[in-house]
Formats: sequence, structure tokens, C-alpha cells
Amino acid sequence: MHRNLLFLSLLLAAGCATTPPPENLSRAAISFPADALIIQRAVLTAHGRQFTLNGYLALSKTGGKRLIITENFGAVLADILMKPGGKFFVMRSSQLFNPKWIQQYVVADMECIFGDAAQKNCAGKMLSPIHFVIERPGYTLDLQIVEIKTGAQSPQLFDETKRGSP
Amino acid sequence: MKNFFIFMATMFAFATLAADNAPLQPVADPQPILQDLQRKMSSLGSVYFELTQERHLKLFTDPLISEGFMLIERPDQIRWETTAPYQSILLGDKKSVAQFEFTDGKWEKLKLGFPQMLQRVMEQMSLMNQGKLDALTGDYTISVSTNNETILTLVPKDENARAVLASIEVKMAPDFSATREVVMNEPNGDSTRIIFHREKRDVKFPAGTFDQTKPLEIAAVKAAVDNAP
Repeated sequence: MHRNLLFLSLLLAAGCATTPPPENLSRAAISFPADALIIQRAVLTAHGRQFTLNGYLALSKTGGKRLIITENFGAVLADILMKPGGKFFVMRSSQLFNPKWIQQYVVADMECIFGDAAQKNCAGKMLSPIHFVIERPGYTLDLQIVEIKTGAQSPQLFDETKRGSP
Repeated sequence: MKNFFIFMATMFAFATLAADNAPLQPVADPQPILQDLQRKMSSLGSVYFELTQERHLKLFTDPLISEGFMLIERPDQIRWETTAPYQSILLGDKKSVAQFEFTDGKWEKLKLGFPQMLQRVMEQMSLMNQGKLDALTGDYTISVSTNNETILTLVPKDENARAVLASIEVKMAPDFSATREVVMNEPNGDSTRIIFHREKRDVKFPAGTFDQTKPLEIAAVKAAVDNAP
């Protein structure tokens, strides 16, 4: 917990040292711990309506990235595994996030913010080291990192054969 | 999604009840216990909870934890607030619902995507908080186990509902004097555990507690509850 707070404090301190204009994500090289669980809170705005989402992103330096998105009360809306080579698997989908939507948008946004390399076509801005906004035709995603837990995550998370139940 | 909201409503409703751990004995006829429970629930004017929510996903080593409050006032007011790791307020009554998010140092009222669904949740919570357990028996098979604690187990009757929710366990003290824990078990082994740390009943909430335009800060609500006789 201490380490996590320290890491977040450093991120915040980095953001507070100066108040630069929002930085385009395509230029921003954001560095996250190689092994960590990053907890996010996001507001998705589509057609003038807003939906709150919780994101849980497990990072492994050898296994890849696993993002689980839930709604307010914990029901899983989307679950994506991205392997180190860039191949991804939709592990779970839902009515709100169907597989096509996940492939087209969620994976792209995931790469925009948490990708290993700066993305060329990222439609986002970094408002602070923990606050990101992605604007695409049809929706806006306002995402904040609320907690980072450093440390190795369960290997099961990065095994595409371990799918969760719907 | 509808089934999920039903079980959330049920969870909220039973949060006005109470737990302990020991070997349990199933009760052959739960009706007298349920009637007693209903009678006690219906006499409550308001209830204040401080809680921890643990989301247990099999894939994660540790549970995903959030902290917050739940406040209910008759006839139909409810406030569910998350205070960590993020800040969010959900307010509802029989007419409307509202949600606020704390972003960049200020509260923002959201234009909700599914207000009807949330309103349905709130309505059910209010109904059940008034002790209308009859509303539950249509949707759930309810069994009771007792020893030095009482556990109500609710199993959805609808097959589609059971696909997302295996059961709800409400853990209470034998006299229903305080709610301790509600566990929602999913068929895949995931679960949500809501632990009630502190409960105060029949408190008078300060003005603005349930205001859907500018809700009173939770610190002020807590201070009022703390200072109440």
C-alpha cells in the first residue's frame, strides 16, 4: 500500500510540478510499472448519455495485459487479454460492450493509454499523469487512474485458455 | 441486466437487517422468521450504514475493495455513496435517480444512460425496506438457517436470473438487530461481499442528504449522525 501510494504520489507530483496544456497521447510516453494492477474509474459519454465504468488492468512484463471493465455494481461488461505481441482475445463481452465494439474501440483505447509505445492514431489527451480523455466520433471516454497496486499478478490472468463465465 | 438490478435491489433491501459465523441448521418452516423480519423492517424510519464492498473475481489474487455509505429514509429515499478508491454518489426516490462523480476537485452531475433501470432498483429497494418481503417471494426461493446467527439464502426462481446470480446470502444476528454482511454468489465462482461496519437506525438525516441537485457532503451527513443522540 505504501509503495502504491508512493507511486501515485510521484505521478501526481510529476503532474503538479507544472501545469502544461493537455498533452496529446500520441506524443505522450506514459510509463507504468511492468507488473501491476491499475484501477481506473471512467465516464463514457455516448449520444449525450453518460455511463460510469470501473476498469481493472493487470500488467505483466511477460504475460501481457488483461483489462476487465465492470459497471457500478460489479457486473463484468468487457474482458480483454492482450498478449505481448499485440494479439488480443475478447474473453468476455456483454450487451453494452459487444465483441465487435470491444475489438474496434476498447482495444484501441486500451492501447492509446496503456500501450507499450506511443500510438500514432490515438484520439486522446493526457490531462494529467492519471487523467486521460479520448474523443472519438460517437463517444468520449474520460478515464482516471485511482489506484496502482504494484507487484506480480496471477499468471492465470494472462492465459487465453482461462476464460471467465459470462 | 434486469435480473442483476433485481438482485442488487434485494441486497440493498436486506441491508436493513443483520451476522456471525457458526454451524448452521436449516429451518424447516422459514415463514415465522420471515414474518418477524418483515415486522422489524417495516418499523424502521431510516438507516445509516458505513460499508466495505469486496469484489471477488477468481482471476485476481486479492479482492477489489471499495469503501462507502448507504443511507435509506422512508418512504423511498436512498443514497449509495462510494468514497474510495473513487468518489461517486447515487441518489434515488420513486420519481427519479441521479448520479454524481467527483472529478478534478468538483462534483459533476451525470446525464444518466439507463435512468429507468436505476429507478427500478431504487423503487424496489424502498419497497423492500418497508418490509414488503412478499415482493421477493415471487422472484426468489427463500430459505433460512440459524444457530447463533441467521442466514437468509435467496435463490432466483428464474433460470435466466440464475445464469448471473446463483444466490444471495444475508447474514444477520438472530434478533435482526444489525446487518453485518451480504454476499452475492455468481455461478462462475465470483462473488460480491458487502460488509457493514457501522449501522445506526432511525437517525434524522440533515437537509440535503438526498438532494438530487446538490447533495450534502457525506462528511456533513456523518457528523450529523455522529452527533445525534
